[in-house]
Formats: sequence, C-alpha cells, structure tokens
Amino acid sequence: MPKAILIDTTRCTACRGCQVGCKEWKDLPPVATKQRGTHQNPPDLGPYNFKLVRFAEHMEADGTVKWNFFPDACRHCIDAPCKSGASIEGSIIQDEATGAVIYTEKTAKEDFETIKSSCPYDIPRKDPKTKRIVKCDMCIDRVRANLLPMCVKSCAMGAMSFGERADMLKLAATRLVAVQKEFPKAQLCDMENVSVIYLVADDPKKYHKFAVADASDAMKGAPGMTRKEMLAGVFAPLRKATKQMQG
Amino acid sequence: MQTATPEATSALRGIETALARALTELPALSPLLEAFGPLLAEQARLRQAAPGWTGPAITVDPDRFTQGAFVLAHTQVGGGFEDMSAQLPAAARTLLPVMAKSFPALAKEFSALGKAIKSGALSPQDLAATGFGERQPEVPGVSSETLAFAAAELVRPFVERQAQDLLALVRELPWRQTCCPVCGGAPNMSALRRVNEDDAFIQAHGGRRFLRCACCATEWTHKRVSCPGCGCEEPDELVVLRDPARQHERADACKRCKSFLLCLDTGELADTPDPDIAALTMLPLAIQAKEQGFKPLAEHPWSNL
Repeated sequence: MPKAILIDTTRCTACRGCQVGCKEWKDLPPVATKQRGTHQNPPDLGPYNFKLVRFAEHMEADGTVKWNFFPDACRHCIDAPCKSGASIEGSIIQDEATGAVIYTEKTAKEDFETIKSSCPYDIPRKDPKTKRIVKCDMCIDRVRANLLPMCVKSCAMGAMSFGERADMLKLAATRLVAVQKEFPKAQLCDMENVSVIYLVADDPKKYHKFAVADASDAMKGAPGMTRKEMLAGVFAPLRKATKQMQG
Repeated sequence: MQTATPEATSALRGIETALARALTELPALSPLLEAFGPLLAEQARLRQAAPGWTGPAITVDPDRFTQGAFVLAHTQVGGGFEDMSAQLPAAARTLLPVMAKSFPALAKEFSALGKAIKSGALSPQDLAATGFGERQPEVPGVSSETLAFAAAELVRPFVERQAQDLLALVRELPWRQTCCPVCGGAPNMSALRRVNEDDAFIQAHGGRRFLRCACCATEWTHKRVSCPGCGCEEPDELVVLRDPARQHERADACKRCKSFLLCLDTGELADTPDPDIAALTMLPLAIQAKEQGFKPLAEHPWSNL
C-alpha cells in the first residue's frame, strides 16, 4: 500500500535535524557555504542536500514579523511529471509498494533541464561528479527494512509522520481542523497529488515559492496539467527514440 | 495511565502484515510462524466478535486502584473475568481445526477434544475452568498438556475482549504497578513506543515503555529503566540482550532477580508489528536469555517449545 509523509509545519521549529539526518544517512559530502543573513543554509537544495529547511520572513499588515519554516524535499508525486518526462527506460521509477519516486544511475543520460523543468516543485539537482540527477528517495532502503525515513525519525518536535497514505490523510485532516482554530488560513498543500503532504498555517507562498505546485503556466483547457507537464509528456517519446538511436 | 488498545480490524491486519514480513525476514522461524500465525489470526477474529464485559457494572475506587487494586479486585471475592463458557463450543468449532492444521502431530487429540465438546462429555464450564488452570478433567484421547493448551487458547480471545472494556474504566487513572491494571497478571512482553503528545515540546525519541499482560493482553505504561520483576534501577544490574542484526528486538534482563522481559523498540520502525508476532520472532532471544540463567516474568504459549 502506498506510503505518505505528513509534515506539520506548525510544529516545526527549524532545528534542521531532518536536514542533518538526511545528509548523514546518505553520507553526502559537506558543501562550502557562507552567511547570507539567514539561517537557511545552504541557500538551496543541491546535489548533496536532498532536504533543506527553508526560512521565510515577511511582515504582516499590522507590522508584526512572521517567520515560516518549510522542510523542503521531493513530494513523490502520485503521477510524477518527472517520470513522464524521462526518455530512458528505468531512469526514473516509482516503487509500487511505497509510491516513492526514485532516480536511478540511468538519469546520468537524461537531459537534466527537461527533468528539472518538469518538476512543479523545483526539486531535481544534478551531481556534477556522477552526472546523475539526484533527489530524496524517501529513504527507500530504510523503508524496505521497516524503518522510518531518516527525516521523520530525526524530527524532535513530532512535526513529521510516516505511514500508510490513508492513515496519513486521516491524520492530516484531524490536524488541519485543530490548526485552523488558531490559523484560519491553514491548509494542506496539494494533498491529492503528492505523497509528502505539508500542513501550512498561512498562504503557502509565504513559506516557499514552490510550496504548492507551480501552476503559473497552467494550460487552458487542460485542468490539472501545466505547460511543463504537457511538454514533458509530448516530447518524451521523441527524446526516447533519439536516445535509442544514439545508443 | 497511558494505554494501548488496537482497533479490532487493524489488529487482524497487523497480524497478517507482521506475519508476512516475519516469514520473509526470518525463514528459519517459518515452522513456528506458520504454526502460531494462523492461530493468532483466528483468535483476533474471535476477539472481534466476542461480547466483551456484559456483567454487572464495576465501580472502581480511584484511591484503591491507584494504590494497586486492579479492576477485577474491585469485584466480589472470587470474582474474575465473566463466564464465557456459552461461547466456547462455537469458538472450538472454528479454532480447533486451525490448531489441528497448525500442529499436525496433535491433530488427533484436537479432533477428540472437539468431539468431546460436541457430545457434552466435556462441559463448556469445565473447558473454561481448564482454560484458567482451575481444573484438569480427563478427556479420552487427549493428553492433559494438550487439553490445557487448547483450553487456554480458546478462552484467551474472550478474556482479551472483556479486558478492553474494563480498561476503559481506569484509562484516566494513574497506575504505577508492574502487574496488569485489569487482571493483575504479569507481563510477558513490552514495547517502547513513540507517543505523539499534542504539545509544543521536544518529543522523546526513545518512546514510552508499555508492559503487556500475559493473561489479557492489556498494555500500560511503566518507567523505562526499572526491572518489572523486582523494581531494581541499578544500571549495573540491568542488562539488555540483543541480536546485532535485529536492533529493535531486545530482552531486558535483571541480574538481581534473574528475570527478563522481551521488549520491542518501535522508535525507529515504520510499521509496528503485532506484539504477539513480534514475541514469536524474538523466541531465539528468549532462548538466549534462558541460557544465560534468566527466567521470563511470564510465558507465551510457545515459550517452552
């Protein structure tokens, strides 16, 4: 049965335990960084950072400053546009048991820009050493061994929950009702389409540009499909044929 | 007191899921799992359909309870679980064939027992009393050990279902004893579970410790670093036995009173296995503990295999 992660950002204190836990478990190398006047560090997701706690400050109309935290990573879309956009068989696969979208070593031969631009959440990154396209894999090795994904395990605030999708949807609905009592604008981000569901207390745009799917180029007459997704789907067979000809 | 009572349907699903996983992970234990797995699943079905506590309402005195008087101690002298003998013949019709299939060497004895129950040679009342170890009637073609085992397993689903109702009476009351808050039984299993508290504080990764009653499967919280056998809290006296390949399974042993209790550490597990199936998979650990001179606080049906 498909799995899901619920991330309740109202409980997140931005301790970055998930970010560090992910990096430790994946044994990813350190990256050079510098102070940019924010705790968000490194500045963005990268080939060696599959999880990043984003910090977003903004001022309310009454002059109070709000600080929102958003532990960003792959959403493991139910119908993943990146998978539809892949031109090589087996480069991007979806694990049937969990629903995890997994990038294999074959992604080294994929066109990075196509895969990146097909993602409505701006997740894929390219490893300059291996040329592979990389991202969170829902800790598929751990989940298959009946262990929690590392980010969920390391969350000290109980902001992250992992389990059967049906159970997580139920939990999400319960939490939403509770949170809306204090934050009427609270909502669940794209819960119908993704396996990593975020509960935010305010307008998602106040957390991260890509907190919800980027639908700025949504196709008229094709509800639910963005131009990126449409193009990825249309050109996938062509790219596949080209790759085959190139060997 | 924090308690854990799984929903009936999820309990059955949990048994089936945990059994399938255990068979894949531990093929060496497949004879054991294939014998007791179907029995546990059938008992879960019986528990689901069992009537629960239908006896007179029990008034629990919070002060007495807090001082250690478990729920059944609040009934009249000699009181215990409600008589379930009326349900036992029907339960025997479904459970004994499963047991015969699970334990082929005892199939003839289970068949003889089934006939004795059907003919009335063994009354339901005698069967229930045998299940609680109060009587030892003679049944032709059935050894006393087989009769005791079958009767105990027939009674178990009804006891567990009644305990669920009785636990509801004391769920909000504190309980610091190492015996069961419902029936006073000793624990034969424990688990460390992360409990998602609805507050804004840092949550312990290790989780709280729940003890599980060997008699009625009630679970209740108890302090983590303490021997449930003698209360010893000396770190040098408390030993944790583990198989390095299965870190989530452990036997918490005490050098002072020489007892041990199996423990499932669920803190890192994505899917928490059913406690009975988990205890089955921990049989090698229990054997290891016994070889080192420790004794279980209470046994499982398979403990002496």
